[in-house]
Amino acid sequence: MIKFLKLYEKIGIFILIVIAGVFLAIASPNFLKTDTILNIITQGTYGAIVGFGMVLAITSGGFDLSVDAVVALTSVFLSILIPNIGIPSAIIISVIISCCVGFLNGVIITKFGVNPLITTLSMATIIRGVSLLIANGKQIPISETRFSVIGTGKLLGIPIPIYIMVALFIIFYLLLNQTSLGRHISAVGSNESAARISGLNVTFVKIMVYVLVSFTASINGVIRTSQAMIGIPSMAPGFTLLVITITILGGTSLSGGKGNLIGAVFAGIFISMIYYGLNLIKVEYFYQLLSVGLVLIFALFVDGLRKRYLEAARIKGIKV
Amino acid sequence: MDDFRFRKVKQNLGVFWGNFGLPLIFIIIVVVFSLSNPSFATRYNILSNFGFAAYVGIAAIGMTFVIMTGNFDISIGSMLALVAVLGSSFMPKTGGVIGVLATLAIACSLGFINGIFVTKLRIPAFITTLGMLFVFRALAFIYTNNVPVYISDRFWLYIGNGKLFGVIPFPVLLMGICYLAAYLVLRKSPVGRYIIAVGTNARAAALSGINVDNIKILVFTLLGLFVGISSIVNSANQGAANPGLMGQNFEFQVITAVVLGGTALSGGNGSLGGSLIAALIVTFLGNGMGLMQVNSYWQLVATGLVMIFAVSLNKLKFYLLGQGEY
Repeated sequence: MIKFLKLYEKIGIFILIVIAGVFLAIASPNFLKTDTILNIITQGTYGAIVGFGMVLAITSGGFDLSVDAVVALTSVFLSILIPNIGIPSAIIISVIISCCVGFLNGVIITKFGVNPLITTLSMATIIRGVSLLIANGKQIPISETRFSVIGTGKLLGIPIPIYIMVALFIIFYLLLNQTSLGRHISAVGSNESAARISGLNVTFVKIMVYVLVSFTASINGVIRTSQAMIGIPSMAPGFTLLVITITILGGTSLSGGKGNLIGAVFAGIFISMIYYGLNLIKVEYFYQLLSVGLVLIFALFVDGLRKRYLEAARIKGIKV
Repeated sequence: MDDFRFRKVKQNLGVFWGNFGLPLIFIIIVVVFSLSNPSFATRYNILSNFGFAAYVGIAAIGMTFVIMTGNFDISIGSMLALVAVLGSSFMPKTGGVIGVLATLAIACSLGFINGIFVTKLRIPAFITTLGMLFVFRALAFIYTNNVPVYISDRFWLYIGNGKLFGVIPFPVLLMGICYLAAYLVLRKSPVGRYIIAVGTNARAAALSGINVDNIKILVFTLLGLFVGISSIVNSANQGAANPGLMGQNFEFQVITAVVLGGTALSGGNGSLGGSLIAALIVTFLGNGMGLMQVNSYWQLVATGLVMIFAVSLNKLKFYLLGQGEY
């Protein structure tokens, strides 16, 4: 039993995906086609990419509620810059501007000592306002057709967003597990004052984390804008809560110190499968909300049971 | 000697800022808006603003309790919508007082469910209520099929729009009663001390014989009750209960008010008076900018900036008193 529970901790979300997959395969004859599966995974990359950043933020004991606004900000800047300075520099500048938002978040949190929830929430409001101001409340179409390659193009039959996700996964995996910055992030998340006393530059670590979150959000903004070919200042409403859901479903501990990047990938795909399945049976939007909520609570309920069982076993003296 | 005197001055400033900082910000906001716009300073506008403040202010009481126990509830926006559509839809059958009481009972039970999930199933409050945020909103949509419920019951409408002696909005009185009751519970009853004890150190509280789970369930249920009252006030103001639009961002407004009011998100002691004044600040700011016809996009920017600014000013107290990590 304990072995099973240990295994569940590692690949629990994977089991959920298999169950959902079997269910969908029975329910829909179209599910087991390459196109459908690639589509689901591509949809899953949206949440997963920003999930990587959120994993870092939650691992460091923080939080970022401004990601949906950053997605919109990137979208607006892209649509304005592309006609003027060309695609590559427009992407670079938009991403840099978005990273500045993360930098501001980090500075306010560390230097002014404002709670991360309040800071990033206020920042979300500000950035949403700024995007609307810049775009003058309108949606700005992009006419440069080459730009659509990023979101809709395929390489060797696989959509580009999947490559982007894999690349980011590798970068973030190496960052979290192989670099000193990654270890410092975990250290700050597990015990901030201990990290400070042992000489870590907590301020720098935290600022870096928020910059990286905004970076992932802006990459998401680039992909979305390229798919829509339009700059939308009100893009991605409610996206932040979905990203947090994916991060937590993926097994990142809310109390900090323990991040799970691969879990975020699978959780992103799982959520996307739920949406596909519900579209299949043609239920309305609100049932999608309901099921995301129920899945989240159920997954954490099981997780809670598992922790209690292990705790009880430990008290009884069974080696866990 | 000079150093000592300097520290003394700093400490006095800290105490002063801790007690009067927020009211000062509130007064500054009112004065600035009054000077720049004559229609802001009318008795009618000021009084109705106090009425609107009840929407955030009443729910902020419950949120203060919940945050004091070291928990969190982000489902209240959806809860607000669900309570309003459920309550108002069966109003025509039950009528006035019974209907309102039943609505509040529903609100309490939603809070109770949150409390049970958090304590008995040991799911962290943030995630429970994140899940419930989706669930409540979805239930509100499903129950009404996304069609607003119009409210015709006179008692219900009076709660949100009525005027005492033709001048004072009824929500102001309601808010006053709620704050008085909450103050008595928090400062003059054992329950209040239990809440503070649980928030300061749950383990110590449990060892000294306090039933921590019950206290947590109680605060979530109380939050449900206060959200229920806010829900009636808000839906009466709008004349309808809209399952999609009601309570959007409500949780963030309320949490902002509580944190701005000086209650620490880490739990422990909190300030009801601070929450009240912060709720007033948030409401007056919105109304003032609306009256000055500030572009609504600029309003978003300004609101965010003021929030960060006000919370950092709040931190000034700890700096001056030499507390906290600086």
